[in-house]
Amino acid sequence: MAAEDVRGADLRVDGVAKRYGAVVALGGVSLSVAAGEFLTILGPSGSGKTTLLKVVAGFEFPDAGRVAVGGADITDVSPAKRNIGMVFQNYALFPHMSVARNIAFPLLMRGVPKSEIERRVNRALELVELQSYGERRPSQLSGGQQQRVALARAIVFDPTLLLLDEPFGALDRKLRESMQLEVRRLQRRLGLTTVFITHDQEEALVLSDRIAVMDDGVIRQVGAPDEIYDRPADDFVAQFIGESNLLAGEIAALDRVVLDGGASVTVRGLGAGHGRVRLLVRPEKMAIDAATNRFTGTVVEAVYLGEAHKLRVKTAEGIELLVRGHRAVPAGASLTVGFAPEDAHVICGAG
Amino acid sequence: MTPADRARRRAVGSAIALSVPGMLVLLALFAVPLLRLLALSVEGGSLTAYEKALTNELYLRVIFETFKIAAIVTFFTFVLGYPVAYVMATSGRIWQIVGIAFVLLPFWTSILVRTYAWMVLLGRNGVVNRTLMGLGLIDGPLPLLNNLSGVLIGMVHVLLPYMILPVFNAVKKVDPTLVLAAEGLGAPRWRAFLHVTLPLTMNGVMAGMTLVFTLSLGFFITPALLGGGRVVMIANLIEEQVRELLNWAFAGALSAILLALTLLAFWGISRIMRTRPA
Amino acid sequence: MTLIKLNRREIMVGAGAVALTARSAFGQSEPPKPKQIVVNASGGSMNTALRKAYFDAFEKDTGIQVVETSPVDLGKLKAMVVSGNVEWNLTEIGGQDGALVQRLGLVEKIDSKLVDRSAYPKEAKSEYLFASSVYSTVLAYRTDVFAPGKQPKGWAEFWDVKRFPGPRSMRNHPVDNLEYGLLASGVPADKLYPIDMDRAFKKLDEIKPHVNVWWTTGQQPAQLLLDKEVVLATGWNGRFYDLMKKGAPIAVDWTGGSLKQGTFVIPKGAKESYWAHKMLAYMSDPKRQSIYANELGYPGLNLESIKYIDPQAAPHMPTHPDNLSKQFWLNAAWWDDNLEKSMERWKQWLLKT
Repeated sequence: MAAEDVRGADLRVDGVAKRYGAVVALGGVSLSVAAGEFLTILGPSGSGKTTLLKVVAGFEFPDAGRVAVGGADITDVSPAKRNIGMVFQNYALFPHMSVARNIAFPLLMRGVPKSEIERRVNRALELVELQSYGERRPSQLSGGQQQRVALARAIVFDPTLLLLDEPFGALDRKLRESMQLEVRRLQRRLGLTTVFITHDQEEALVLSDRIAVMDDGVIRQVGAPDEIYDRPADDFVAQFIGESNLLAGEIAALDRVVLDGGASVTVRGLGAGHGRVRLLVRPEKMAIDAATNRFTGTVVEAVYLGEAHKLRVKTAEGIELLVRGHRAVPAGASLTVGFAPEDAHVICGAG
Repeated sequence: MTPADRARRRAVGSAIALSVPGMLVLLALFAVPLLRLLALSVEGGSLTAYEKALTNELYLRVIFETFKIAAIVTFFTFVLGYPVAYVMATSGRIWQIVGIAFVLLPFWTSILVRTYAWMVLLGRNGVVNRTLMGLGLIDGPLPLLNNLSGVLIGMVHVLLPYMILPVFNAVKKVDPTLVLAAEGLGAPRWRAFLHVTLPLTMNGVMAGMTLVFTLSLGFFITPALLGGGRVVMIANLIEEQVRELLNWAFAGALSAILLALTLLAFWGISRIMRTRPA
Repeated sequence: MTLIKLNRREIMVGAGAVALTARSAFGQSEPPKPKQIVVNASGGSMNTALRKAYFDAFEKDTGIQVVETSPVDLGKLKAMVVSGNVEWNLTEIGGQDGALVQRLGLVEKIDSKLVDRSAYPKEAKSEYLFASSVYSTVLAYRTDVFAPGKQPKGWAEFWDVKRFPGPRSMRNHPVDNLEYGLLASGVPADKLYPIDMDRAFKKLDEIKPHVNVWWTTGQQPAQLLLDKEVVLATGWNGRFYDLMKKGAPIAVDWTGGSLKQGTFVIPKGAKESYWAHKMLAYMSDPKRQSIYANELGYPGLNLESIKYIDPQAAPHMPTHPDNLSKQFWLNAAWWDDNLEKSMERWKQWLLKT
């Protein structure tokens, strides 16, 4: 999903560390973002993703490591000279300036001639479909409109990089979804290298070319959305993204794992490994009356989600399984579920 | 009448009811004495007091000087007070408390004591002159006291908290991410301050300026003691009429003129505020 | 207001007169005693001396507490009388304001049956004003700057900035200064009134650049001399006396000093008038007046009191025969007629550059 017309530059973060007193915010983070790529940094609050963004923007200086944009090291460059566009969580629109003045601000700071400023502001307003709102104050706009002004302000000066810090957090669900698509559309049209920060995994999956999952100041995994979803590198990534059944066990043969509790399942991709593993099976891969890897238990919870039914099944051995399917089964009913060998993802290591 | 109208009407009614005690206090403590003052100034139904005040060169000159001094004092409290307020508001909690304590400390000292302290510091043989001469920076004592500069120093010192506190409050209210945003958009620190922080704290500055300016107009102890007699403000003349000459009609007239000019200044400031762009 | 002139003869006459004790003037039946009376005076060391000389004894004898307030404030007196809410039973007023308060009807008559002023000079027995003490605005200077033999005498020398160089301080007020200007320009002391304002201000023009501070409070000139901010100053004799007692290098020259009387009045409509009178009786007692005089350098007008004054303190009294002859009495009547006009002109003159 590369952009149509690449104008942004690539970003390289190399071994960046940052601590506040005894608290390690970033524990040596390295990351590459290709020119024109949309990369999402996904993680729970306190994972260090905002600190990483601030280091890239220049609002925080790292204790160690370098940051380079388009091959140029900008670690020691002041934020004003980095030419990076940023949309803040609360938009940070200047309340004492009109919408047009807000958008003109970065151009004014760059000494762009007046006529040119007017032209570019109008174009930016057009881009975010707010042509007739230039003279209003930010406080007279809705949340979505403010968001679009912030976006226009962040891109009007052709930044090399666009940073988005949880920009959709304050919007309601519907608006949020349409804004997400709009941002993605704009980003691709302008070919902007974009780093997007969110704790919302759904948002990350929808928008990103690639996702970097962060926890505890380090990046756990970087990959395309389907890679992250289907083949998480560790338990944290598996559990943070989507719902999951994690079955712990021991490798018994080339294609067999004996789960704790005694059940034996057939899987693929074990290779020549041995020792303890966890098997990740997404709830939608669990099938009622499957042919292989069958578990029988009682439905302890049944939730109707509209497009699907979510069931929680508890087996005699005490294993709890989440199942997502199209069949309504009442709580209390006895049920047999299972998964195909190729639908289990093996996570090695102690976990 | 819809229920909503009725509810609104009830809300307005109770708002009026709630404001009655406050209005009565204002009426008793402010309006009544003011009206009595105005009544005094036209004692015997004549406007001779006003005629005298507005035609005598002395009073016109002192009124002009008073406004001039108030404007200078306001300017200096702004120049000196804004950075202090800014640093206080943008530093950590502990430093904020320490700062506020230092700003408020002088409030617990009488203005007379503080004025005498300046006399000790600024005199010909005062601490400041002796130190400067000791350091060889000046040959003779600087005329810091018993002239306009003494009055300005004393007044700025007394009035500085009235500028610092509203500005401090205003700076604290500015969202720090706005400054970050400005910097990120290409503004060096000072331009971010000029384009974002300063305009957003203008309300605090205006509040501080209004306070300092109005309070300045009524000063009389400081000019009398630190001016060495060379600085006369309108309050000195009013006080003299009240306490020494017992000519209350004239004192009333001078006060009324001062009040009218002060209101005029207020009106001017609020006009500037309203038409201020951005 | 009558012009009071004391001279040596009158004092001798007064001293020979037989004074009645204050107590004997009171009748058998006294009105009920209030818990307290309020006496308003200048404050500071003056109130301390008033307490030492009069208030403590009054409290001890009558059991009535004396509450001291300050400062002297003519405007407040008028406000009290006009509003009918008189808090003071007795108040001091400025030396030149006697005529003004009588003209505006702000004071009660003093009952001579209750306050014995038989030993007072007759000019100090006003119907409305109680003369508590005599004070003088005099010339003072630093003795470490002007050594003996080279010390300034009188206003012509105060004006002589060549022989007596250094910054000066004078009161920010036309009273006294106009007289000093006239004396400096050669007008004899008995020809001062009516004051020739043009001549006075013309002479004041000469001294103006050399006056560092135009003072407003009585403490200022004393402090300015002490801090050596100025080396010559005009001021109230008691303030300088206080510094000299403490050993400060300051001396007073009485030549051309301006004498006036410290005055107490009973505000119009004040309550407990009997007890206010009784306090005035204490304040007219010669022995008690001498205590006050020893303390402050402000002698009382009971001519008997001279006998009790400490011989060491006597030369510092404005009424000491050697000093009295060099000074003049301020003409309060002239000032009452001309105060507003001259104050306006004074301010204008001061602001003129």
